[in-house]
Amino acid sequence: MTLSATRPSIRVTDLRKTYQVPEREGGLRAAAGSILRRTSRSVPAVAGISFEVEPGEIVGFLGPNGAGKTTTLKMLSGLLYPTSGEATALGHVPWRREPDFLRRMTLIMGQRNQLAWDIPVVDSFELNRAIYGVPRDEYAERLKELVELLELGDLVRKPVRNLSLGERMKCEVAGSLLHRPEVLFLDEPTIGLDVTMQRRIRAFIAEYNARTGATTLLTSHYMADVEALCRRVIVIHHGVLLYDGDLAGLVERFSPRKTISIDLEAGQKPPDAGWLAELAGGPDAVVQHSAERLTLRVLRSETAAVTTRLLATLSVRDLVVEEPPIDEVIDLVFAAGPGSDVESERAGATR
Amino acid sequence: MTLRLGRLPAVYAAKFRAEIALQVAYRGALVIWLLGLLIEPIVYLVVWTTVARGQGGQVGGFAAGDFAAYFTILMIVNQLTFTWHFHFFEWRVRNGFFSPMLLRPVHPIHNDVAENLTFKMLTFTVVGPVALFLLATFGATLHPEPWHLIAFVPTLVLAMVLRFLLEWTLALAAFWITRTVALNQAYYVAVLFLSGQVAPLSLFPPAVQAVASVLPFRWMVAFPVETVLGRLAPGEVLAGFGAQLGWIIVSLVLMRVIWRAGIRRYSAVGA
Amino acid sequence: MRSLGLIWLSLRLGVLNALQYRADFFIQLFQSLVGLVTALAAVALVFGQTDELGGWSRDELIALVGVFLLVGGLINVVIRPSMEKLMEGVRLGTLDFTLTKPADAQLLVSVRQVEVWRLIDVALGTVVIVIGIARLGEQVGPERAVAFGLVLVAGVAIIYSFLLILSTLAFWLVRLENILVIFGSMYEAGRWPVGLYPPWLRVALTVVVPVAFAITVPVETLVGRLEPMTLVTTVGLALAFLVGSRWFWKFGLRHYTGASA
Repeated sequence: MTLSATRPSIRVTDLRKTYQVPEREGGLRAAAGSILRRTSRSVPAVAGISFEVEPGEIVGFLGPNGAGKTTTLKMLSGLLYPTSGEATALGHVPWRREPDFLRRMTLIMGQRNQLAWDIPVVDSFELNRAIYGVPRDEYAERLKELVELLELGDLVRKPVRNLSLGERMKCEVAGSLLHRPEVLFLDEPTIGLDVTMQRRIRAFIAEYNARTGATTLLTSHYMADVEALCRRVIVIHHGVLLYDGDLAGLVERFSPRKTISIDLEAGQKPPDAGWLAELAGGPDAVVQHSAERLTLRVLRSETAAVTTRLLATLSVRDLVVEEPPIDEVIDLVFAAGPGSDVESERAGATR
Repeated sequence: MTLRLGRLPAVYAAKFRAEIALQVAYRGALVIWLLGLLIEPIVYLVVWTTVARGQGGQVGGFAAGDFAAYFTILMIVNQLTFTWHFHFFEWRVRNGFFSPMLLRPVHPIHNDVAENLTFKMLTFTVVGPVALFLLATFGATLHPEPWHLIAFVPTLVLAMVLRFLLEWTLALAAFWITRTVALNQAYYVAVLFLSGQVAPLSLFPPAVQAVASVLPFRWMVAFPVETVLGRLAPGEVLAGFGAQLGWIIVSLVLMRVIWRAGIRRYSAVGA
Repeated sequence: MRSLGLIWLSLRLGVLNALQYRADFFIQLFQSLVGLVTALAAVALVFGQTDELGGWSRDELIALVGVFLLVGGLINVVIRPSMEKLMEGVRLGTLDFTLTKPADAQLLVSVRQVEVWRLIDVALGTVVIVIGIARLGEQVGPERAVAFGLVLVAGVAIIYSFLLILSTLAFWLVRLENILVIFGSMYEAGRWPVGLYPPWLRVALTVVVPVAFAITVPVETLVGRLEPMTLVTTVGLALAFLVGSRWFWKFGLRHYTGASA
């Protein structure tokens, strides 16, 4: 079944999810009181999110813990009913959990196993095959392909308890793709894995998407996942969509400053602090100021001018102009919350 | 463990407060454990009162009303003496919860004592009323003389101490055996029969009664019940105290020895 | 048809899983024998003081012990372990995986886990039943055997439904991991004929925790005490319980996935 290229694979309109969380204070009296009465408060996990995903896209949901990314993913995979709002995936309403929808999607959760613990992985795969109704010859073919792509080798013949964490994750991924789903929901897939394994899993996801054109939604709080895989990033914080676009745009919008690092030639008079501050646009723009090295954080629009002046005035051995590390940008985004962007930064800069 | 004895009361007070909060939070689970404790005496109460009525009023010196009294008091004494550490020690060690306990400046046993006493305090609030209900419903005959009641208290306290010490010591087998479930069950069956929970010990064949008096199980549960029901002469009660104290000493010695050996093994094998 | 295939495959997987632990066979054998001796010793103790208990003879009670073991074994092979796994799945979040599969969730969770060595209890129980019946000198003709089979299946179906309802409560009471212990405790009361108990307890053991239907009624069938009305009631109740527990399961799932508040 092919989807027309113009129809979105996933469409979300003003999706909301509010939880009722029981709460209680510490201490003996509160404990006794809670036997009879229970107070709870409403926690909005997702507070009105809208977006569309085209078939074949890989979209990364970025946000700190508790931002609402996993809740969004659970609603789209049919595990959770929203409090209000609409969504369709592959033409189905996910939370109706129609078998037709479930057969065409898959959910992979980091650090959670669905494979049976004590028996060879391949036996668990057999059960999945039966559940999804995959014909034997297709199954054999796909298994071969996945074993090759994930470099599983003989691992599938071992019981899960004999595998390392990374090997386990690879097998989980393989088992989840035996039915060739058209949509992949990945919830923190690389969490807890070592760096090499994280890279392998990322590479696999990209390869799988290239080969099959499966729409992929993944949540992560690792910047590296998103950087490596996703052309499109959706930033969620406090249940609200802060940004939807590509990574470069994210950096530009939320971090208006670039970093200039200069190694100075030895033996010259160190530049005056006051002059530096004025040039860079404020005393806090000077990150480091020593005889050998200068580091300045300068507004984008000023970068060229400041660089020129520095090169003209000082004897420079080396000069580097960098975007701030994306992690830092994300920290800024999360710390500031909704409504934070270049404008307010600028306003703060010109005091 | 180097902890000045003077600090112990403060530690216990704090531990009690924490445990009460914890167990109240898990009150649902408490109710369920409680049900398990209560069902058994009720079942045997029904069985034996039926037997007594069927045999023309009494069996082995027990009328229906006597059985009702016996099993109800037994239920109370069982609830006040019972421990669960034999079952859960292995789980605790296997899942790595034991190591943190060793790092605290208090012997782990104090933690378990506090936990145990808190559970008993909380569940007694339910067991007490249930006992009264049973006494009324099944027409229990209870006419204790004053000295029965006075003697009951020390027998009960000693029984609590004895059962806790012995079962805690047996729980230390977890240091050597990874699946203690078979051991648990063998112990549980021994306690079931020889502490008078299936039937009053006087209904057993004489040979079994002799064995039961030599083993510690009678002194953990049946003895306080027999005392308060007035089924023992003063001399027998005093002899019983002796047996309880004797077994407590044995348990203490065993505990020290096994604990030291167990800790050595635990540290050698690795947490 | 596909459902049957899934059940078979899942059970096969569970058995393979359980067979990994060969030591468990000996542990279970020991436990079963201890359980058997305990039950028979209690009966011996009682019948050392009397010839009949509430109208039941010693050999009838032996047959009861046999049925107690047999039914216990049947419940502990698949039903109880799977329900425990279900509650664990709710706690750990692995139930989510089951819910994203295109197969009936109740089916998948009900045959999830197998403790294959519990079949020892089934074997022991059968042996004890045969001994008890032989000692009674009762003739168990084909009619009675069929009735026994029917009542047994109905009884197990009632217990399964009951345990499913208890486990579904885990959706609301996540912290009640030991909720199945309620059943275990009440099941112990089934060692003796339910008719012995005072009316209020009998009601509890029939309606609240349907132990009576699992044990006392099958024994009554075997020893010829069964009234036809009881047979009809048992089968009818089994159907009602199966339907009711499925409804409750779906209700629980809706709550778990946040459909109802």
